[in-house]
Amino acid sequence: MRQTSTTGILPRKYKSGSIIYFEGDKSEYIYILKTGRVLLTSVKLDSGEEVKEDVRQGEFFGVKSSLGRYPREETAQVIGDTEVLIMNPSDFERLILRNVNVVLKMLRVFSNQLRRIHKSVRSVLGDETEIKPELELFKIGEYYFKGGSLSHARYAFKKYLEYYPDQQYAKAAMDRIKAIDSGQVSPEDMDFGTPSPAPASRSVIDDDGFSFDEPEAPGPQGDAGRGDGKRSRIDGGDDLTPVSSEMDDFLSGDGGGSGLDDFSLDNFEEPGGGPSVADDYARAKGLMKSGKFAEAAAKMAEITSGAEPAGIEDRRAYESAHGDLGTCYVKAGRLKEALDTYSGMIKKFPGTPLEKAAYFYIGTIFESANKPDKAISYFNRVLNMTPKDDLNTQAMKKIRELQSR
Amino acid sequence: MMLDERFFDKFGVEYKTSEIIFCEFEPGNEFYFIVTGSVQIVKVINNKEKTLDVLTKGDVFGEMAILEEQPRSATAIAMEHTKLLRFHRNNFDALLEGNPQLAYKLLVIFSKRIYDAKRRLMILLLDEPQLKVMDVMIMLAEQDPKLDLQSQITLPVSAQQIASWAGMADTDVQKELTHLARLGKIDIYGDKVVVHKIGEFQRMVASKRKSMYA
Repeated sequence: MRQTSTTGILPRKYKSGSIIYFEGDKSEYIYILKTGRVLLTSVKLDSGEEVKEDVRQGEFFGVKSSLGRYPREETAQVIGDTEVLIMNPSDFERLILRNVNVVLKMLRVFSNQLRRIHKSVRSVLGDETEIKPELELFKIGEYYFKGGSLSHARYAFKKYLEYYPDQQYAKAAMDRIKAIDSGQVSPEDMDFGTPSPAPASRSVIDDDGFSFDEPEAPGPQGDAGRGDGKRSRIDGGDDLTPVSSEMDDFLSGDGGGSGLDDFSLDNFEEPGGGPSVADDYARAKGLMKSGKFAEAAAKMAEITSGAEPAGIEDRRAYESAHGDLGTCYVKAGRLKEALDTYSGMIKKFPGTPLEKAAYFYIGTIFESANKPDKAISYFNRVLNMTPKDDLNTQAMKKIRELQSR
Repeated sequence: MMLDERFFDKFGVEYKTSEIIFCEFEPGNEFYFIVTGSVQIVKVINNKEKTLDVLTKGDVFGEMAILEEQPRSATAIAMEHTKLLRFHRNNFDALLEGNPQLAYKLLVIFSKRIYDAKRRLMILLLDEPQLKVMDVMIMLAEQDPKLDLQSQITLPVSAQQIASWAGMADTDVQKELTHLARLGKIDIYGDKVVVHKIGEFQRMVASKRKSMYA
């Protein structure tokens, strides 16, 4: 976009009293005061007070608004006959490439300004309580720990020990790392006498067009059908790692296209003659893999319309069938049914590890329905879900694609 | 922007997908330049991890550590296999000598950050909730040069996002939005707001600003 023509730096003379630019003007020019006097007048944001500032000879002015491409924040007026040098950003760039010290000086000034503004922002927000980075760093570790992002948690705890080996939570941080390394993270571990942020709340579909209800607060009836075994499988700390690797498997799956076709929670190692729902599911899955989506959908729908089975393998198959049914509908172009299926699944199995992939698919459905805003909001949801895996990356790519349209 | 090849041998670091580069509140002494890959900048706000930005090849982050040590204000996570150049504050002068283009890039980054921070401060300094909400919309409109402010515009923003810009509670923002919608000034959709006449909001906010200092 930048002009490649060599316009060069030009001198310009002003008569006393002239205005070089007004506050609010848009212009890309940058100036150096050569001889004479230039007064910059701006208004302080918080008090409305007028601030006047002299430019010294040889100094730049108009730099920030030019480079940042925003309107002038001050008025530049000439006092006495004055000569300035005027240049565009590419001239400026060429000029400073030869004067790194000038850049360094400017960066110092800018950085101080930025810090002052941040301070004002904090004070306006009433957030002046002194932050203790030591405690906050530990809390970040706890946040990730409780959310099951153990490698992120480990990083924060490790840094805590590195920087604050003698501080209050050093022992707690050490214990956390040990627990993570030994793979013995259990819900009980997540509760020792430390400043514990409340458990991360799960983001909720706030959709208007489709009938998603708040999956966040599963009412008594929502929970009734769920065996205890399942709750601990999905929610228990021990199982968080497997869940994240499943998400990876999702993508490495069949290799073709989006590669997102596999909604299974686990590999079924049950020998022949295993539980019936799991068998049905395996057969439906077979149809899916051979591309017979309509038939697979019918089989999956049969499974999901039945009651929730008792055995653990059957229950897994039952849950996976919901996700796969959605996928079959997507493949068969039955998008409305796919949406209903996914929303039903999220409601029926609050907190299911399949939720993230479901959101991703919902995003792709809105994408193909040419509703980019909606699609982005779902991809965004995926993006913000932990643990981070390839699905987050894919969601990001989608968002970028959609935004660049 | 071309960086000297030698720099990768000396300053290159690589991160795997989902690996943390630095963590919020960790002391920071280095800043980074992305050679390949992408980096997600996140912050835990009200016990939720929020994505602030996604940076890619050629972007710089952690630049606040250039001049003095201070705790990181956000967490940086590699979103894929990512190669970075990592510079310590102490190498900064030498680095700029070798790569003055980087110096220019940093000036641009700082210029933008200063403006964005000031603009936000202007919103926060308004004392009426309704004007704050309007001013967030004005700011967003100003940021998109493709928008024609003379006609109806669509802003891809949710009530929650407006709330975080305005430093207000979600519910209060929701109330103001509903009010504006009832007056027929805007239409609200879950993740976007359609503003019929942003010029009207601009005039109201500007006149309020003037009177604040009178």
